[in-house]
Amino acid sequence: MNPLEVLVGYLLGGVANGAVIALIALALVLTWRSSRVINFAQVGQAMFTSFIALSVQQATGLWWLAAGAVLGLVVYLLTLRPIRRSDSSGAIIATFGILIALQAGAAMIWGGDLVAFPQPFPASGIETGDRVWPISIYDLVVLGVAAALVLGLSLFLTRTGIGLAMRASAFQPEVVRLSGIDVRKTLALGWALAGIVGSLAGVLIAPISSLSPNSFDLLLILAFTAAVIGGLDSLVGAVMFGLGTGLLLSVVTGYSSAEDAPLAALILLALNLLLKPGGVFARPGARDV
Amino acid sequence: MAKREGRSGRGWVVGFYLPFPHPAVSLDEVSVTLGGLTILDSVSLSAPRGAVTGLIGPNGAGKTTVFNVLSGFVRPDSGSVSLGGRALRRVRPHDLTRHGVARTLQGVGLFPTLTVLQNVTLGARARHGFFADSWGSPWADREAATVRETARARLSELGIGEEADRLPGELPYPVQKRVALARSLMCDPSVILLDEPAGGISAADMADLGSLVRSWVPERTVLLVEHHMELVMEVCDFIWVLDAGRVIAHGTPDEVRRDPAVLSAYLGEPA
Repeated sequence: MNPLEVLVGYLLGGVANGAVIALIALALVLTWRSSRVINFAQVGQAMFTSFIALSVQQATGLWWLAAGAVLGLVVYLLTLRPIRRSDSSGAIIATFGILIALQAGAAMIWGGDLVAFPQPFPASGIETGDRVWPISIYDLVVLGVAAALVLGLSLFLTRTGIGLAMRASAFQPEVVRLSGIDVRKTLALGWALAGIVGSLAGVLIAPISSLSPNSFDLLLILAFTAAVIGGLDSLVGAVMFGLGTGLLLSVVTGYSSAEDAPLAALILLALNLLLKPGGVFARPGARDV
Repeated sequence: MAKREGRSGRGWVVGFYLPFPHPAVSLDEVSVTLGGLTILDSVSLSAPRGAVTGLIGPNGAGKTTVFNVLSGFVRPDSGSVSLGGRALRRVRPHDLTRHGVARTLQGVGLFPTLTVLQNVTLGARARHGFFADSWGSPWADREAATVRETARARLSELGIGEEADRLPGELPYPVQKRVALARSLMCDPSVILLDEPAGGISAADMADLGSLVRSWVPERTVLLVEHHMELVMEVCDFIWVLDAGRVIAHGTPDEVRRDPAVLSAYLGEPA
């Protein structure tokens, strides 16, 4: 293979990981946009619901995504809503506590070992003639789910009254409340949507990696990096830099080693903080809706 | 002393004889302390139905706290609040529109990346079916179209109908103030709480504002917090004066203007 083909191969190999990083970044942006809180428990929720989805799959034989997604809502209702009553920094710290609790809970229930998650679609490279591409049908499904979610969420946030109210609640909740909207509902909706997106990401990444209580920790760092570089407020930024981070990791892994990949992401974050600390897609007014 | 009578008669209302029917809004013996400071000290006041009532006082008198109590942002330590003649155990800001009460804030509180029309319809669209609107159902679409129509009508009533599709940042401040007013009128309120509506606008705009406020009565009740005394004296039927968290005077504009306690609070003259 010539060098260009090698590069394209590495890039295609990073598509699925990039799409999942983008989804987690998207979930982080959703909670940030609805409540000005970064939910570091997001990957804990994703991990926990992936284990539940795995249990459902083992018990029923069904590869049922919805099981994990719906349980993301339960995690929110039981844990994050009471925390929201404190100030945002308290809530952010509390999400770390929830992450640790979810990881400990998962270890107690399912054990701390890596377990395999079944694949609903073939994960082998797509064959065209006598050529095998370094991308599978499953990778394309992950990419498709991510694209559909981004499109759906963008339409929801920009075209519906509830979506607009949800965005507005983060900036001037008093105005939104005086307009007759219960801000608690818009907050709940934002966190629940993020929970669903994060859970989907967990269930999508588990079949192409493996599942353990701590297996998504790196995903949190990468998704947070992507969300920050994207500007934290920008859905497009989260998705673009989530995908970009996945592709970068794949390329670094290919040319160097898997151990160097997270380092590359952190260098990217450091460069971003040095050169454009607000994020690439950050708008001038930090309080814009 | 809190002798009351029916909605339609004149009489004693929260301790004072008012030449008006039953009040649309009232506070009864309300006290508020924040961080050890007494902000409101057994304040009783009322806004008669179908009239413009002013609430004035020096800075720190507690005027905005009265509004915050009425709109549920501050829970009083003691006392009660009545809206529309109904005593409410607890007022919640998002329930105000349901009680037919609208409140404006001191600033404009507009969202800069939403158009004027989106700003005005923000609450109304979401109120009419929290989830139906999300799914884009046909009835939600019809509802949204009706809300937009109402919003355009409100903007036209305030003389800014042609600004519906512009962003707030493109408009002069007095026009932004009118957009905020249009947003408040979307719930077709019977009571409007205006918090310093004349802040930052010119004398000419203030005259227009005065005419606008007078045009709302007697169909609506207005409670006005304002520092511009000319406007207050011109548009109000009745005025309450607060100083250091206590009611020091009340009456018609002429009575208040001559009240020694008011002169003392504003000018430092002995009462």
